[in-house]
Amino acid sequence: MLMASKKLRRTGVSAELCERLKRHQLETCQDVLSITPVELMRLAGLSYPAALELLQLLSRACAPAVSRAWDLWRKKGELCFSTSLPALDTLLRGGLPRGALTEVTGPSGCGKTQLCMMLSVLATLPRTMGGLDSGVIFIDTESAFSAERLVEMAQARFPEFFSVKERLLEMASRVHLFRELTCQDVLNRLERLEEDIIACRAGLLILDSVASVVRKEFDTSLPGNLTFRSNLLGQEAAVLKYLSQAFCIPVVLTNQITTRVGEKVHCPQWNQADVSKEEDSGFVTAALGNTWSHSVNTRLIVQYEDTERRQIVIAKSPVAPFAVLSYTVQKEGIRLEALAHKGQNEALIKLPLRQATWRICEFSGICRNNKGTTKLFILSGKHGRGSWTYGNENPESVLNQGTDPGLQPIRVRSGFICNLSQATPSTC
Amino acid sequence: MQRTVPSLPLAPSVKVKLINAGFQVASDLIDMRPLQLCKEAGISQEEAVEVLQMLRDDGQPHQQRAATESLTALDLLHQEQALGSIVTFCSALDDALGGGVPVGKTTEICGAPGVGKTQLCMQLAVDVQIPVCFGGLGGKALYIDTEGSFLVQRVVDMAEAVVQHCTLLAEDTEQRQALEELTVEKILSSLFLVRCHDYVELLAEVYLLPDFLSEHPEVRLVVIDSIAFPFRHDFEDLSQRTRLLNGLAQQLIQLATQHSLAVVLTNQMTTRVSNGQSKLVPALGESWGHAATQRLILHWEGLRRLASLYKSPSQMEATIQYQITLQGFRDAPDEPRPTPASSAVSCPSGNHSKRPRMEDLS
Repeated sequence: MLMASKKLRRTGVSAELCERLKRHQLETCQDVLSITPVELMRLAGLSYPAALELLQLLSRACAPAVSRAWDLWRKKGELCFSTSLPALDTLLRGGLPRGALTEVTGPSGCGKTQLCMMLSVLATLPRTMGGLDSGVIFIDTESAFSAERLVEMAQARFPEFFSVKERLLEMASRVHLFRELTCQDVLNRLERLEEDIIACRAGLLILDSVASVVRKEFDTSLPGNLTFRSNLLGQEAAVLKYLSQAFCIPVVLTNQITTRVGEKVHCPQWNQADVSKEEDSGFVTAALGNTWSHSVNTRLIVQYEDTERRQIVIAKSPVAPFAVLSYTVQKEGIRLEALAHKGQNEALIKLPLRQATWRICEFSGICRNNKGTTKLFILSGKHGRGSWTYGNENPESVLNQGTDPGLQPIRVRSGFICNLSQATPSTC
Repeated sequence: MQRTVPSLPLAPSVKVKLINAGFQVASDLIDMRPLQLCKEAGISQEEAVEVLQMLRDDGQPHQQRAATESLTALDLLHQEQALGSIVTFCSALDDALGGGVPVGKTTEICGAPGVGKTQLCMQLAVDVQIPVCFGGLGGKALYIDTEGSFLVQRVVDMAEAVVQHCTLLAEDTEQRQALEELTVEKILSSLFLVRCHDYVELLAEVYLLPDFLSEHPEVRLVVIDSIAFPFRHDFEDLSQRTRLLNGLAQQLIQLATQHSLAVVLTNQMTTRVSNGQSKLVPALGESWGHAATQRLILHWEGLRRLASLYKSPSQMEATIQYQITLQGFRDAPDEPRPTPASSAVSCPSGNHSKRPRMEDLS
């Protein structure tokens, strides 16, 4: 894609040289710039200075333009997309950044898709109301998008504006939904998305969710799959970043969570005796691994606080400090409660995870949501099958993972009693 | 020290013909005339002229170079001292680095996501512009962004903090004069920004850097944030990646010394599984570890952010603590570690640490 695939013919290289290069399968700028000058000398039959000159010519043809930070700052009205949640906007210095990727991750049922739908409504609003007055492209891989909910949210959030039925219909017609069910479909769709973005005049791109297709298809316990998966995710990230920067639109992705088991966790408030006992403790973090955590620019984690309230945690952001906001999911979408914690003072994240008091030999950590509870299915384990819900009644079970905020522990549920005996996994 | 014909930077076909005609060393060719060479070697007239011109250019500077090449260590010492370094505003890190990020060398910054690499790069891009009378370099910066993490609002925060800091320090008239010119607008205007989307654009940009730097000789810092992202997912052939990265590293070191600027590269971390344990190591492979002159690794330890000087030709290995505040990259405050019984720890106002504190369990 992009300038790199520019054909040599169009860059001003002489026809004869183009022919010579073509014989060695060097047809685009990318091909020629991907080899070293000495190799180019050999393949093209050029002298060293001539090879360097050719590289300079091609570099001029595909290098991006140089701008200044001041030019960016002067367009500051176009830097962010307001989320209509004032506390979040203030922390993010205006809203979700346009031209960068924002990830929302968390356990299922916390409100990620609700947040995406709310942002879709906001993007279609006129600029006077804080919107982008544009279309929305919603790529749905979990079939979780509900048009009825979208309409209900719009009416509840902006009752006067959407009292006129035409506006409601127009809003709904601006949200373009694409259903993709496999990794390759998603990648193909992304690579052709430029035309769709221009056709729909999209100002917001939502991908819900990145993780579900990837985790379905890649069994990372098999060797080689991990690198393949990382490469695929890297390609997706690169395409998304290109689209978001070229069109100056915010891109919102959702991610899932995964359990990490069996790591020694640094937790200074425990004394040595405790630490040695807790070898099997695990915790829940954002899925898709370390490399993906590097690729997203902003990461928002949603997690449970208690049965009703949830929290948004700003885990990674180039502009925002670490902060925690409480919210609930209502008819009108996300409603923020008061700012729960911010900065150093009260940023206290309870990270309850029921600790195993016995060894778990092997289990699949699948956390599903069933009306507010979250269950960990033990599909094969020393103590038989069962579902196991966990909670925070044990104050010593607080963990604090310190090595990587992208892999921060996430709270997944609120107080329930363990139920391990003959229970068979119920359908969720 | 005769130069042999195969080692000349000529086109391969020309070299083959010269060798077949019996020319083995450069001195055989020097006294030839173009037409004579043309007939003996069977090359075209233009090629013959090119060969002779190259030899002539080669010969003279070679002798001159032999005279100037022997620099004494004393000359080098003067040169290095004259070059200076870019402060990071975290005095512990500046001390560990011997004054700051050195000019004329490449520095690599590795770290886990969210630990502060981009923050440090943005801080350096602002700090390089501190006027000379305040102890800075008074230069401009070029920021090559491959990830999209460069957000202007943050640079504005840091620029305002730097201006404020200099305002407090200004004592004599020269400093006050320099201060009048040091505004947020000027700082942002002197920060050049390039957004590269893949490795080809990055390579193209680096090939064009010599021209850019000739046009803007005041540039004293080139930041590539990050060099890892474009190289991590597009390559099936890892040996090609290694070749390209090595070429890139050499070009950057050459630029750093020839144009006396500091080159800062950001790298990511990757998980490596060994003996059933996984740990984070810098990405891009083992050979990349040799590419940069200095290597700084940023990492978490519990709740603290630490920076370790991992590789340096002149400084000792050291680990220091730092924090990210509203004003940018700063020293960590000296405060007692919070015990589980104590509640919120006091902190200087206006500080926003990015990490959660220990929880109050009571």
